[in-house]
Amino acid sequence: MKAGTRIRWTLALLLSLLVLPAAGGQARQADESGASRKCLLCHGKKGIVKTFLNEETVEAYVNPEKIRASVHNFLTCSECHSGFSAESHPSGQYKSRDQYRLRSSSICRRCHSADKIKNKAVHATLLKKEKLGVTPVCTNCHNAHSVTAASGGKIFSNEKQYCQSCHQHELSMKFRNEERMSLQVDLAALDSSAHGKLRCSDCHYGYSSEEHPEKRFRSRREYVIASSESCRRCHFDNYTKTLDSVHYSLLSHGNLKAPVCNDCHGSHQIAHISHGVKGGLITTQRCKRCHPAVYETYAKSVHGNALINEQNQDVPICIDCHTAHDIQNPMTMAYHEKIPQMCGNCHANPAVVGKYGLSTDVLKTYLEDFHGVTLGFYKKEREELYKPARPIAVCNDCHGTHNIVSTVSADPASVKKNLVKRCQKCHLDATEKFPSAWLFHYKPSLSKYPMIFFVNGIYRIFLPIMWAGLILQVLLHIWRYAVNR
Amino acid sequence: MNGEFRVKRKRIRRFSTYRVLEHWGIILTTMILFATGLCQRFWHLDLSQWFILKLGGIDNVRLIHRYTGLLFSLQLFSNVLVGILGVLRGRWQPSMFITKKDYEDAIHNIRYYFGFENQPAKCDRYDYMEKFEYWTILVGGILMIMTGVILWLPTLVTRILPGEFIPAAKALHSNEAMLIFLLNAVWHIYNSIFSPEAFPLDTSIFTGYISRERMIREHPLEYARMEGVAPEELEKNVPGETQSLKVGVPAK
Repeated sequence: MKAGTRIRWTLALLLSLLVLPAAGGQARQADESGASRKCLLCHGKKGIVKTFLNEETVEAYVNPEKIRASVHNFLTCSECHSGFSAESHPSGQYKSRDQYRLRSSSICRRCHSADKIKNKAVHATLLKKEKLGVTPVCTNCHNAHSVTAASGGKIFSNEKQYCQSCHQHELSMKFRNEERMSLQVDLAALDSSAHGKLRCSDCHYGYSSEEHPEKRFRSRREYVIASSESCRRCHFDNYTKTLDSVHYSLLSHGNLKAPVCNDCHGSHQIAHISHGVKGGLITTQRCKRCHPAVYETYAKSVHGNALINEQNQDVPICIDCHTAHDIQNPMTMAYHEKIPQMCGNCHANPAVVGKYGLSTDVLKTYLEDFHGVTLGFYKKEREELYKPARPIAVCNDCHGTHNIVSTVSADPASVKKNLVKRCQKCHLDATEKFPSAWLFHYKPSLSKYPMIFFVNGIYRIFLPIMWAGLILQVLLHIWRYAVNR
Repeated sequence: MNGEFRVKRKRIRRFSTYRVLEHWGIILTTMILFATGLCQRFWHLDLSQWFILKLGGIDNVRLIHRYTGLLFSLQLFSNVLVGILGVLRGRWQPSMFITKKDYEDAIHNIRYYFGFENQPAKCDRYDYMEKFEYWTILVGGILMIMTGVILWLPTLVTRILPGEFIPAAKALHSNEAMLIFLLNAVWHIYNSIFSPEAFPLDTSIFTGYISRERMIREHPLEYARMEGVAPEELEKNVPGETQSLKVGVPAK
């Protein structure tokens, strides 16, 4: 070691006199000492394998290129591998690879003392653990022979590998409330996720091979909520939508149980968007975590049953009505007024409901009837005249919300009985004949509601005849008047 | 109304003040009913929506429509009641009843329009067109009132009648409204404003008076009865300006 340093300093002095700016660079060009070159004669070739007592092996190959580019290029092999030289090559006996790595770390610490490295958060954490008896292994993160300058190029081919060098292990993080969270990241799962191509620091900003700030959160939940802020860097549109949602409203009122991005989407295993049945099922399961009772009701409904048991892709899942990001409070009038359109998205679309033999007139017949017209005007009045609207019966008032059953299989008597009850909510003195004032989405015809069919039919014939007769009389009158003159 | 009318210059009293006021009442109520009713029937039109919001919303429009309907009903009932009582007490002729002559007059006039007759039909106090209009509005009005009540009180009605009567009443109400509206818009407006004989306005229902010329032309039988002469003599013998006339009872 002493000899190498002397050569370095002598050369540096000589060269700096000639070309001052190149001094540093030239100093680094310190030739591999004769000893090192000799080592590389054998270790520069692949094939040498060291076997530990527990049968573990390690390749004793050293890439000459890499060691020349490393920050340790001025060192001779024996400065770290003390006891080894061209003359002496003791065969050390180590129990295992881990034991060997542990011992190697103590060599690093000869120069890189605890005092020198403790300023970096990642080291400080490791040093704390060391006091508790967990000795850090330098080569877990820093490569042995290809160590590059901290400010220089990366040791690893990509950032993910660098982070993985620690985070593949069972690390954990402790929160101020003594909760713990694993920091182990499953690389395979991460790579196959929708974010497989992202770098760790794309989400964990502020972290890099140089920076590893220690963050102290009160609780695991607070950490999760804070992490969700990362999503907005790319998903600004959806992030902004969530600010209008009922979930964000809960959160802003201090309810930390309110879901944030990662609660539904996950963190390292974010799924690719799936429009299939599987995606639909997964989505409903996500909502189920917080809304289990609603899910159970939905699962028994005509929609839920078809999704879960028949893998039907036409049925609505939670987000089809409630939306995914800007979820509104369904108890508001604005939401109530949107319901017919919501149901109509499928039930007025022949491409969706046609194959089930369902009528697509349901939306039109509702909107053109008393309730639909009133609803439309109440909406306009609320928006334009700021008039508080009364709730008007919409689809779910008669058909149910999450518990919608098929009208085909339902018992007509029970449907009617339930209907009277619903009518009585607004029409207090309604009797059991009252619900039949509603035509149940049917258009009057000879077989259905003939009375209305005939009234309309008579006028449809009579009105044009009368209209034509009167016009004719007027025209004849004018004509005769003109002739007389 | 003692049956004595003085002929002022060339004018003859045709309608009493009561009838003039009654007509004004009908104009006002039907205008309001049509405005607030048609915008409900054609709710999807921008104009209707604008109008309904101007009136403060659909609830207001329905309220105005219903109470104006109540007012219209009162006018209609009083018209019928006054008419029946007047005829029963022998004060007025039942001049508004449709008779066989009205059918003959209608056929006569069609023949006249086509040139098969030289003269138009000679009509009495009300010609067949006026009668047609009156009865259409009267019968239509009664239908409107009946169906309107059903629509106003659906829960009460369904205590007795089946629920289907509500949408049927709605269909009838809006269809009948269209019939009356078209009748008024085409027929009545033409006859009292745009007809070459009335243009620019037949003022008799507002002033209560009609000119002698029009009386002779349009209601020759009534005028002849007033004069106490045969209808055929009217054309030859037009009475002088200041002559006092014993006018026939202005029935209905």
